[in-house]
Amino acid sequence: MNVIYQFVAGPLAWAAFILFLSGIFLRMIQLFVKVNQPEKFLLHYFSLRYGLRSIIRWLTPFATTNWRKHPVFTVVTFIFHGCLLITPVFLSGHVVLIDEAWSLSWWTLPDGLADLMTLIVIGSCVFFGIRRIVRPEVRFVTDASDFILLVIVAAPFITGFLAYNQWFGATWMTIAHMLSGQILLAAIPFTRLNHIILFFFSRAYMGSEFGKVRHARDW
Amino acid sequence: MKKSIILIVMLLSVAALLAGAALCQDDLEYLDNEAFEDPRRPAVPFSHDTHNQTAELDDCAQCHHVYDEDGQKIEDESSEDQACADCHGLDDDEQKPGLMKAYHLNCKTCHISSRKGPVACGQCHPK
Ligand code: HEC
Ligand code: HEC
Ligand code: HEC
Ligand code: HEC
Ligand code: HEM
Repeated sequence: MNVIYQFVAGPLAWAAFILFLSGIFLRMIQLFVKVNQPEKFLLHYFSLRYGLRSIIRWLTPFATTNWRKHPVFTVVTFIFHGCLLITPVFLSGHVVLIDEAWSLSWWTLPDGLADLMTLIVIGSCVFFGIRRIVRPEVRFVTDASDFILLVIVAAPFITGFLAYNQWFGATWMTIAHMLSGQILLAAIPFTRLNHIILFFFSRAYMGSEFGKVRHARDW
Repeated sequence: MKKSIILIVMLLSVAALLAGAALCQDDLEYLDNEAFEDPRRPAVPFSHDTHNQTAELDDCAQCHHVYDEDGQKIEDESSEDQACADCHGLDDDEQKPGLMKAYHLNCKTCHISSRKGPVACGQCHPK
C-alpha cells in the first residue's frame, strides 16, 4: 500500500502537474497561431483597456445584463467558482505536502471552513447536473460529455471530503483522491474545462471589439 | 486446596494486570501537540517502545539526533533527554525544519522507504 501511495503522491503527481502546465502553455500558443494566421486583423482590434474592462465587468456578480437575467444561476456560479478555485489552493492538507516537497508554504483556510466550501462545490455540481436535466433550453445543448466533465470536477471534492473526514478508510480514499485530482488537472487543458484560460482571451477580444470598434458596452 | 489455588491464580493475574498497566504508563501513547499554538489535527497515537520494537529500531539517534555546527549528524550521540520542540521551533530555521515538518519528514520518510507504517494524514491523525 505504501508503494502505491508513494507512486501516486510522487511520479504520478509530477506527471499531472507537467501535463497541466504544458497543456495550458500549448493551448495558448495554439490560440495565438490560429489568430495570427488567417485572421490577423483580429489582433488590430485588441485593446488592453476595453479587454480588461470586459473581464472585470463579467467577473462582477450582476454587473452584466445576462447575469441579472438569471439571478439564482448567477449566485450559484459565483459561489461555486470561488470555492472551486480557493479551496484547493489554500487547503492545509495541500500546503503541508507542498511545504514538505519544496519548502514553500502560505496562509491556509481553517479546516472546518475548507470542509464547508468543499460541500458547497459538491452541492453546486449536483445543482448544475439537475439543471441540465430539468431545464429544456439547457437539456437541448447537453450531451454525455457535460455530465462526464461534472463528475471529473466533483470527484476530487467528494473523495477529498471523504478522506479528510476519514470515512470508508482514510488511506484508500486518500489514494483515490490524489488520482481523481490528477485526472482533473490533466483534463483541464484538453477539455472544455480550458475555459478557465480561454475565458480571459475571449472576453478580452469581445470587449475590445465592442469597445474599440463599435464604441459600445458588451452587455 | 482447590480454593487456595484459585486464590493464588487470581492474585497472580491481578499482579500481572497491574504490572502491565504500569509498563504501559511508561510507554508514551500519544505524541504531545501542546507545542503547537493551536493544534488543527488530532494528536498522533504513538506507542514509543512497541513501535521501536516492531520496527526494530535500536539506534535512538534515528529520531533523537544531535548535529554539530556544520549540520553534520554526530554519529554516537543522542538527544532523548530533549523534546523535538526544544530544538525545532514552529518555523523553519535554515536547514532545521519547523516542528511539524520535522515530525512529518522523520516519520514519513522512514515509512516510505521501509514500505511499512502510516503515510496518509488520516492514518496518523485518526479522528
Ligand atoms: C507518519 C505520521 C504522520 C502523517 C502521515 C501525517 N502527520 Fe501530521 N503530524 C504527525 C506528528 C507526529 C505530529 C506532531 C505531534 C502531534 O501533532 O501529535 C504532526 C503534526 C501535524 C500538524 C501540526 C499540529 C496541529 O495539529 O496543528 C499538522 C497541521 C499536521 N500534522 C497535518 C498533517 C496533514 C495535513 C497530513 C497529511 C498531508 C499529515 N499531518 C500527515 C504525524 C503525521
Ligand atoms: C521512531 C523514532 C524514535 C526512536 C527510534 C526513538 N524515539 Fe524516543 N521518542 C520519539 C518521539 C517522537 C518522542 C516524543 C518527543 C517529544 O515529545 O518531543 C520520544 C520520546 C522519548 C523519551 C521521553 C519520553 C517521555 O515520556 O516523555 C525518551 C526517554 C525516549 N524517547 C527515549 C528513547 C530511547 C532510549 C531510544 C532508543 C532506544 C528512543 N527513544 C528511540 C521517537 C523515537
Ligand atoms: C538537540 C537539538 C535537536 C533535537 C532534540 C531534535 N532535533 Fe531535529 N534537527 C536538529 C538540527 C540542528 C537539525 C538541522 C540539521 C542540519 O543542519 O541539516 C535537525 C534536523 C532535523 C530534520 C531534517 C534532517 C533529517 O534528519 O532528516 C528532521 C526530520 C528532524 N530534525 C526531526 C526531529 C525529530 C522528529 C525530533 C524529536 C524526536 C528531533 N528532530 C529532535 C536538532 C534537533
Ligand atoms: C526509522 C524508521 C521509522 C521512523 C523514523 C518512524 N517509524 Fe513508524 N514504523 C516504522 C516501521 C518499519 C513500521 C511498521 C512496523 C510493522 O508493523 O512491522 C512503523 C509503524 C508505525 C505505526 C503503526 C504501527 C504502530 O506501532 O502502531 C505508527 C502509528 C507509526 N509507525 C508512527 C510513527 C510516527 C508518529 C513516527 C514519527 C515520530 C514514526 N512512526 C517514525 C518505521 C519508522
Ligand atoms: C495532484 C494531486 C493532489 C494531491 C496529492 C492531493 C492531496 C490531498 C490530501 C493529502 C488531502 C487531505 C486529506 C486530509 O486532510 O486528510 C486533500 C484534500 C482535499 N483535496 Fe486534494 N490533492 C490533489 C489534488 C486536488 C485537486 C486538483 C483538487 C480540486 C480541484 C483537490 C481538492 C481537495 C479538497 C477539496 C480536499 C479537502 C476536502 C475537505 O477538507 O473536506 N485536490 N488532497
